[in-house]
Amino acid sequence: MHKFLALLILSLVVGCNNSQNLDNTNYDDLIPPESGGALTNAMIGEPNNLIAMIAGDSASSAIAGQIFNALLKYDENLGFEGDLANSWTISDDYKKITFNLKQDIKWADDEPFTCEDVLFTWKKVTDPDTRTPYGSDYQLVSKASCANNHIFIAEYDEPYAPALETWASLHILPEHLLKNENINDTYFSLNPTGSNYYALDEWTTGQQVKLKTNPNSVHGRPLLEKKITRIIPDLSSQFMELIAGNIDLMNINPIQFSRVFPSRSELNDKINLYKEMGNGYTYFGFNLKKKPFDDINIRKAISYAINKEEIINGVLLGLGEEITSPYKPGTYWENKSINKISFDVSRSRELLEKSGYQLNANNIYEKDGKPLAFEILTNQNKQREMTAVLIQRRLQDIGIDVSIRVIEWASFVNRFIKTGEFEAVVLGWSLSLDPDQYSIWHSSQQGPGQFNFIGYNNPRVDTLLENGRKELNNEKRKQIYDEFSKIIYDEQPIIYLYAGYGLTAIHKKIKGVKKITPPAGVFHNDYEWYIPRKFRRNEMSL
Amino acid sequence: MLNYLIKRILWMIPMLIGISLISFFIMHLAPGDITSNESAFNPKASEESRQKLRELYNLDKPIIVQYGLWLKRIVQLDFGSSFASHQRPVLWEKKDENGNIKPGLIQKALPITLLINLLTILLIFSISILLGTIAAIKKNKIPDRMITLFVFIGFAIPGFWLALILMYSLGVVNQVLPISGLHSIGYEQMSKLGQILDLLKHLALPVFISCLSGLAGISLYVRNGMIEILNQDFIKTARAKGLYEKKVIFVHTLKNALLPLITILGLSIPGLIGGSVIAESIFAIPGMGKLFYDAVLMRDFPVVMGILTIGSILTLLGNLIADLAYAWADPRIRRGLAK
Repeated sequence: MHKFLALLILSLVVGCNNSQNLDNTNYDDLIPPESGGALTNAMIGEPNNLIAMIAGDSASSAIAGQIFNALLKYDENLGFEGDLANSWTISDDYKKITFNLKQDIKWADDEPFTCEDVLFTWKKVTDPDTRTPYGSDYQLVSKASCANNHIFIAEYDEPYAPALETWASLHILPEHLLKNENINDTYFSLNPTGSNYYALDEWTTGQQVKLKTNPNSVHGRPLLEKKITRIIPDLSSQFMELIAGNIDLMNINPIQFSRVFPSRSELNDKINLYKEMGNGYTYFGFNLKKKPFDDINIRKAISYAINKEEIINGVLLGLGEEITSPYKPGTYWENKSINKISFDVSRSRELLEKSGYQLNANNIYEKDGKPLAFEILTNQNKQREMTAVLIQRRLQDIGIDVSIRVIEWASFVNRFIKTGEFEAVVLGWSLSLDPDQYSIWHSSQQGPGQFNFIGYNNPRVDTLLENGRKELNNEKRKQIYDEFSKIIYDEQPIIYLYAGYGLTAIHKKIKGVKKITPPAGVFHNDYEWYIPRKFRRNEMSL
Repeated sequence: MLNYLIKRILWMIPMLIGISLISFFIMHLAPGDITSNESAFNPKASEESRQKLRELYNLDKPIIVQYGLWLKRIVQLDFGSSFASHQRPVLWEKKDENGNIKPGLIQKALPITLLINLLTILLIFSISILLGTIAAIKKNKIPDRMITLFVFIGFAIPGFWLALILMYSLGVVNQVLPISGLHSIGYEQMSKLGQILDLLKHLALPVFISCLSGLAGISLYVRNGMIEILNQDFIKTARAKGLYEKKVIFVHTLKNALLPLITILGLSIPGLIGGSVIAESIFAIPGMGKLFYDAVLMRDFPVVMGILTIGSILTLLGNLIADLAYAWADPRIRRGLAK
């Protein structure tokens, strides 16, 4: 039978083996930059639509970001720098932003870029007929205008502090190609013309998206000639493609980072690993409208009973950090003076007893004959499930009876979050670059489908959030958000659990990757990356 | 016979309406719609914009009205466009005023799924008939036991696990087969023959994996059918006449034992357009399984309904074809129908 199986496999294996064997190559040589070559990476999903304001998925924005520019972009330390704008000025009353646009710039099809393109894009994103979820930020602009071909002016009725960030995330679209199109289903979304480093070369549905350098690129030519993004939905398959040398980089998980790579030296000979602060955090949130979570002592007691370090070690293998404010650790907006609530069982019991709870015969806290019991809800996400289990165990130890329910995403959102029918959740938010947290914490944002679904209501926080939106002086703004972060941490409406690291594996043949990852991330300087000629794949099509 | 055929085909219409009605309602029982999934937890996305979208897609109307609208379109053979932001047509490509073509979702996913499934069925049937016949001839002897063991191992082994093991050993350690995807980089520059070989190399593992689990059922069908027929009197007669054993086995026995397979073949027609989500994800094959699964998760109703409708049409047709083929192959049934 073995013979038969072997024969069967052999009979299916047709053709010859033409994979190159680069295993003994030394990739550590220093080689000066050479342009050309193709970088191959992988994504789990196919982009929907390369007009980012219409697409909602991360795959689309990742590809579209290489094709389009915004007015501003983030520099490597997460400050702003010009993208299509050369410079910008903010009026003294903070209500008017004037962008000086770069001149003599052309779209990839050689048509000139002008202020009219910016105005057109703003009109589209605020047009009620445009199928975009992102319009509200730009609707705050009461008047947008072009002083001339290269001066764009955005005027606001009230100062809006996150304004610059919004102009760093809006891809400017070419008016001349889109003015007669229905932006919601235009073919342009599959075959766009942009102004950034790359232009679409070929898109094979369901398989790969190939980009080539844009000769009219605003920032000059990148070194890598082509970028091929393969669509591989399964992460284990991606990992095999990586170690077989068929893709050059991917995001890896903590197990691959701290178990697989350290134990296999041959992988370390050809692949570099990079670790940076990720873009999101995971929290344990309470439905504040339900008993007993309206009681601050109960929330704090739970916070003291949870061992966050244990969760970071267990779920992320230590590849994450505890946070005390919803901002990236180490960045400007983080309030560094907050004292962490650390694992302390006796403090937890103290707080529970202060609220009138006593241990019953089953070793569960109860008050007025009602045991302290609740359900943690989370969606199908391995890390969140594991987190919930660790929380459950710690709370069990102390005498709180917790059950866990894991639900498919759409049902989770619609059946439980929107209706407010939950007690506690393990969920995540992104760590935003602008400190504004209005939509998550302001008491007015509690309607169905809005983001303050835990029902947090604190007039002081409301005031802070309102003021923070209007304050454009960074130092004053910092004070506002420091106080905001402190109040939230003191009241523990959610328990911050961890912010995981982003882990990236990049093949050593890719040169020019910064050894020390800047705050803006490892991909920040990818226009400087290159593949020395001798390490390139033998690709006929290139 | 013709009457029977017409009656059967006419019956398919109320059946299809029933199936689509039930599918439509069950689909809507699941909480949520596309608007709540696309940007559910994006703090930059407002609830008003989602409401706007819901109105655009008629998702705010009662389900029965939505069904009516869907049915109205479908009788004109218009499967509509996906709710996802690419707005691609569900079934077939559409040309806009400028002559640009947006490819259809099913149009792109179906050929590769069909190819894989046809290859799989072809392999399953040919290997199973071979194995089943050997097992029946060597009944209860070592070859029979080995074959049974092998097909059951193949049936029981988790496909995704074996897939990963084979990908690792044949794709990473010994680079004889590609790991995932459909084409190698540089596919466009290959000769026609090279392209076919490249595609076959990419399909080798997925087809092998999906074959393996299918062998058990069919080969045991063949084995048991053969054994039953080998014990019948006409086989004894044939042997007593002094026919060669080869002729007894392959002409008299096998032909009769294969009759029930026609039904199975007919029933596997709807399966032809269905793909395995797990296999397609692991091997990065953009087929029907992943398309359907993603559409369900995203609550992309036009795509879900499109695939379900085509699936039910094929199921009904498959049943009809199986029945007709049976009549064609078995005179006893043919005569029953004529009456």
